[in-house]
Amino acid sequence: MGHIVEVSGLKKRYKKFEAVTGVDLQVEEGEIFGFLGPNGAGKSTTINMLSTIIKPSEGKASINGYDIVEEKNKVRASIGLIFQESTLDEKLTANENLLLHCKFYGVAKDKRKERIQEVLEIVDLTDKRANIVETFSGGMKRRLEIARGLLHYPRVLFLDEPTVGLDPQTRNHIWEYILRLKKKAGITIFLTTHYMDEAEICDRVAVMDQGKLIALDTPDQLKTNVGGDIIEVETENNQAAEALLEEMYSVEVTAAGQALTFQVDKGSEFLVKFVKEFDIPICTVNLRRPTLNDVFLTLTGREIREETVSGKDKMKHLKRGPH
Amino acid sequence: MEAIYAIWQRDVLKFFRDKARLIGSFAMPFMFLILFGSGMSGAIGSMMGGEAASGPLSDFNFVEFMFPGIIGMTVFNTAIFSALSVVQDREFGYLREILVSPMSRTSIAIGKVLGGSTVALFQGLMMLVFVPFIGVTITIPIILKLIPVMFLVAFAISSIGLLIATSLKTSQGFQMVIQVLIFPMLFLSGALFPLSGMPAWMDFLVKINPLTYSVDMFKKIILQPEQMEPALREAMGLNLSIFNHVITFSEEILVVAVLSIIFVLFATIRFNRAEA
Repeated sequence: MGHIVEVSGLKKRYKKFEAVTGVDLQVEEGEIFGFLGPNGAGKSTTINMLSTIIKPSEGKASINGYDIVEEKNKVRASIGLIFQESTLDEKLTANENLLLHCKFYGVAKDKRKERIQEVLEIVDLTDKRANIVETFSGGMKRRLEIARGLLHYPRVLFLDEPTVGLDPQTRNHIWEYILRLKKKAGITIFLTTHYMDEAEICDRVAVMDQGKLIALDTPDQLKTNVGGDIIEVETENNQAAEALLEEMYSVEVTAAGQALTFQVDKGSEFLVKFVKEFDIPICTVNLRRPTLNDVFLTLTGREIREETVSGKDKMKHLKRGPH
Repeated sequence: MEAIYAIWQRDVLKFFRDKARLIGSFAMPFMFLILFGSGMSGAIGSMMGGEAASGPLSDFNFVEFMFPGIIGMTVFNTAIFSALSVVQDREFGYLREILVSPMSRTSIAIGKVLGGSTVALFQGLMMLVFVPFIGVTITIPIILKLIPVMFLVAFAISSIGLLIATSLKTSQGFQMVIQVLIFPMLFLSGALFPLSGMPAWMDFLVKINPLTYSVDMFKKIILQPEQMEPALREAMGLNLSIFNHVITFSEEILVVAVLSIIFVLFATIRFNRAEA
């Protein structure tokens, strides 16, 4: 006990493959905990197990002290869930959706009105309460879902890709609401994302790839672990440059797209020397601080973004309409 | 209890909000009663001997005969299609909102079945607007007797619907299965033509069809066969019997009640295993 979410050795096997091959983690109360990884890494499967939607094949987990297999209903009452896909009843009004949720979760009759008002204020939808959800924009629906997820005062709020398919402005707004929530309700937030900038907001980030956790720390610490500065260079002959770089500076070079990427300790000083003495003509050169994408790149040798614009993702963008 | 009520309320609320569905629900019964019924009425009349028909048989009015069947058909259709909402909820994601809540699956299943039954009951009662045009007399006691029977029938059929809906992933699939099920059950129920002088194999199918007993109950309430001449009663196929025993109204209630308990049990068990 002590941790609001406690997971040990959690696995999920399907007939042909293992979607989650063993996850261990603890989440502190009041924390924003991020799950970062490409599509198909097992993030949603893990969240689905924690939220009692699917049964784990192996391992144990508890939320708010309740076992996710043995005490399903108590777990369900302790969590709020916001899925990737909308789960609103679009034929009903915002208020009706919220009222039904109160009834599903046994919120006392005399508290319902007050609670609905409260959560609608958090997401700025008070004036839209009597409108049919069908008429809402994608961002408004998302906000309404977040509001609904809060109605029964969950201890942990699970958000599975909360901003996927939304335009940047709406994404920022959603984040404002999430942060406001953390401040106001002291609620623990457990979210998955494949957007790097979103992961930066989290208190701690677990990086997931191919069903496993490959790192778990604060975003700052994860970046520090990558070490030094990142140099990205494009040359006229990347292949030759790669070999030469490794020979001259004994650095580990990763080719990502057009650019070669490697790390050095003191970026600015290195750059001056490098431009002067490097034989192969340089097209562009760029120095920056490491990002979480570099963390992922270092840990797996792949870029997270390469896999994010998959067919499924594009479909989602189409389904949610134009931005 | 709150959970059952919430699930029930949502279905009923959505039924009354969907005006197109409300109006559209009159189309089928209207066509059957007025177009099919009136046409058949003439044909049957002349088969019975036309103007020269002797005695009680001249009273055979096909539209009147069909009316209880049409009520049965409406209740049946609405009840079984009410389960479509489960499949649609799955498609539109709302089923997850329901299934991840702390409500028990049993309450959800019962709420769904009760919602479907209520909607079917209303739909069936709405068919009474045809009464003035077809010459049957419906009194308040008849309506009061119809309501619980309609609800019981609707409950049994909604349970069958839920059982099917829980096993299927798409609305198209559901609609296909229901169509294949609906037509033979209707044709073999005595709703559309009198159940008399059938071949033995067909007679067997009729007797194992739960709809037969449901429709027969509606006939007994609306047509009041006990006041008819025996010959007319026979022509209208109102002497439903098994092994030469004429089935009574109470026995029919019992049959449908037992069936609805069995179906709702199966549906609930099946729904308890549904994945979110």
